[in-house]
Amino acid sequence: MTCKWFALTKAEYLVLTSSLRPRRALWMSLLLVFGIFWAIFLAPLLVGTMFDSALSLTMVRALLLVMFPGLMRTVMLFLFMLMLLMPLSYSLQEIKIGQWEIFFSNNVCTRDILIGTFLGKVPVYGLIVLFVAPPLLAVFLLAFEVSLIGQGLIYGTLLLMVVTTLWLSNFVTAMIQAKLGDSPRGNDIAKGLAMLIALVIIGPMYGLMFFAPQLSSLLGLNVFLVFPFTWPADVISWLAITFNGLNLTGVQIAAFQSILQFDLMTSGLLLITFSGACLGIGLISADRIFTFRMGARTETITTIQGENFLLRSIRRAVPGAFGSLLVTSMKDFFRKAQNLSRIAYGLILALIMPFLLSTIATIDDVDTNIAMLALVTGVGMILIGSITFAGTGFLESKDQLWIIQSAPHGASRYVKARLALAFLVLLPLTFIPVLLTAVLNQLPFIVSCGLLIYSYAIGCGAAMFATGLTALNPHFEDTKSPEHIMNLMISMMTPQFLMMSPFLLILLGAATEVPINRILVSLFGWFGEASTWAITAAIPLLVVSGLMVLLGTRWLGQPEY
Amino acid sequence: MSRNGVCIRTQHLNKTFGSIRAIHDLNLEVLEGSRFGFLGPNGAGKTTTVRILSGLLAQTSGTGTVCGLDITTQREEIKAVTGLLPETPGLYSKLSAVEFLEFIGALNGYARDALHRRIDHLLAILGLESRQDDLLESYSSGMKQKVLVASTLLHEPKLVFLDEPASRLDPAASALVKELILALAEETATSFFVCTHQTSFAEDVCDVIGIIIDGQLVTKGSPQEIIAAAKAANLEKAYLKIVGGKIDRQALLAWRA
Repeated sequence: MTCKWFALTKAEYLVLTSSLRPRRALWMSLLLVFGIFWAIFLAPLLVGTMFDSALSLTMVRALLLVMFPGLMRTVMLFLFMLMLLMPLSYSLQEIKIGQWEIFFSNNVCTRDILIGTFLGKVPVYGLIVLFVAPPLLAVFLLAFEVSLIGQGLIYGTLLLMVVTTLWLSNFVTAMIQAKLGDSPRGNDIAKGLAMLIALVIIGPMYGLMFFAPQLSSLLGLNVFLVFPFTWPADVISWLAITFNGLNLTGVQIAAFQSILQFDLMTSGLLLITFSGACLGIGLISADRIFTFRMGARTETITTIQGENFLLRSIRRAVPGAFGSLLVTSMKDFFRKAQNLSRIAYGLILALIMPFLLSTIATIDDVDTNIAMLALVTGVGMILIGSITFAGTGFLESKDQLWIIQSAPHGASRYVKARLALAFLVLLPLTFIPVLLTAVLNQLPFIVSCGLLIYSYAIGCGAAMFATGLTALNPHFEDTKSPEHIMNLMISMMTPQFLMMSPFLLILLGAATEVPINRILVSLFGWFGEASTWAITAAIPLLVVSGLMVLLGTRWLGQPEY
Repeated sequence: MSRNGVCIRTQHLNKTFGSIRAIHDLNLEVLEGSRFGFLGPNGAGKTTTVRILSGLLAQTSGTGTVCGLDITTQREEIKAVTGLLPETPGLYSKLSAVEFLEFIGALNGYARDALHRRIDHLLAILGLESRQDDLLESYSSGMKQKVLVASTLLHEPKLVFLDEPASRLDPAASALVKELILALAEETATSFFVCTHQTSFAEDVCDVIGIIIDGQLVTKGSPQEIIAAAKAANLEKAYLKIVGGKIDRQALLAWRA
């Protein structure tokens, strides 16, 4: 009889490799063979050639040797984050409650689910690392002229780190799912968490990097030594040093010792202990501390209370059918954890942006300073507008689309309500960064007002573009679909490209010897060059976004062919 | 509204999806005020027909009118006078029943004040008044179906398309929907086009039945006429005779060998 965990492993593997379905075994074998060839031969050759064409490897070798331990920790931090966050976010976005019912009806225990889903992920994520890691490591392997045995041990250490991190990610996902995922509400919260998880982890990481010296002096040792990603990095560093082909002197090795602090044995033991502990804790706690089961933990019934002041005000300000549509759209949008996560992203961007901008405004020319502020604020507003509204909360399913389409001009009314909602949400998301920018840069009142109007127009333009594109290419709630990724990418990139119109016009003017710059200043330069720049950047974006909305609405409203 | 009392008329209607022919040369006539039952096996083309007639799907060829309006050129006008209950619920999980019905009413151009009395009455009739302010995500599938039935009737359509209206309902709720259809048809002359697998539901509710197989209408008449023509005891047996639903007991258990 087949083990239950093995059946789950197979299912997980088949799901993750479904895009290779017609020739799965062949493609996976080819990828593996090519991956090994890439890691051992091609990546070092390419990196070596690149370095030799730009700088002689022998010239930068000394520099690389000095930087090696610190850079290796950075590389490991990147891989650690990649392996921890990617599967976690991916799993939380798609909790299939229907699958759980199948598991429970077949008497599958939590430990089987944990082991099965983990092992099913190993081949695919292993391949990702096989392709990502070699270019990052190759330059150091070349600099140290590491022997083949050394390379083998380095990749073995890397594999242990990857497998451990993947297990940890799988374990954390399972715990969150066990607490949340057995109801539509839990599923919604999980999707929200999937969005926020990067912020939750990356935020403190940045904080740690910023405050590392203070923490180190407080703890009396290098604070990075207590983090799990440091141990494999240091093991790899020691392996490269031990198996080097440069005949490093005792003095040089002692210098590395003073940087790395822990020796090979200590770092290795810490890594193995950490891996063993992760494995042990996962296996012991499954079915004891957390258990997958259908239950009523998150299946709470939410009863709606009366409408708040804002909604009542909107109803008063916009009476009639459109007001009702706007209010119900707002209720639907703000009750989804996923949308709140996106607004949180936007809000964090809005709060960070002014502080980044305050470092830009250091040029003596005031007009150039304002133009620079407008440019960077515009880019920030595009990110806020597109991340918040590209595809999410638009349509839950195709059946919902049928319902909307079955009303006369339903799609058009629906898109208008969604746009009105976006414009309302963007009001605070614009006001906060502009106010902070104005205060931090001591901008005059009239310039601040101009920046506010411009930023709001850019934000609305980005939201219009994102909404129009999503209407044109709806992906419903599937945030892992190629459509969603395409919508998000195009929604972020196209408005930024359109914002570059002034530069293109200036280049065109230079090429055709038409004084375009002077014409634009005479048309829009009420407050100098900055207003010319801002208006010339905003108009194409608003026009193209308006067209995108028209196109999307028309597409969404027409019958399927 | 319609000409000569005809509510739906199609002529040589065809619909293909790539190499699959969903509807083949469909000629159909449904009279105003009638309750038309559209029966057929899975994949026969029932839902495709409803989607074309309600203006959601374009036909590959052929013509048709719904309430006297052309299905090719007057789709928005058709949507204004018809209601559609889709086969699978596409509800907004984060809205309550009242909010969802307000949303549907607003999509159809009704303001809140004009809607609320109607929403309250419909929810009371369907037995949902005690849960009307709960989010739809916590509703059972039968309750969701009732909300969809309410959303279909909300704007008082002249013609109602019901795609599997009772598939998720318990017997009591199913009986309620049957009575609702009969009452609306008799009191308000509303026409009904009901797609269903449930022959007993069709027999109780519909005055005319059409059976579609592989996109082609193979028979049409009153339930009694169809039963008599098939020389069967009831509509279910007549349906099985027509669609070829003979079951081989030996084959049913062959997989255990």
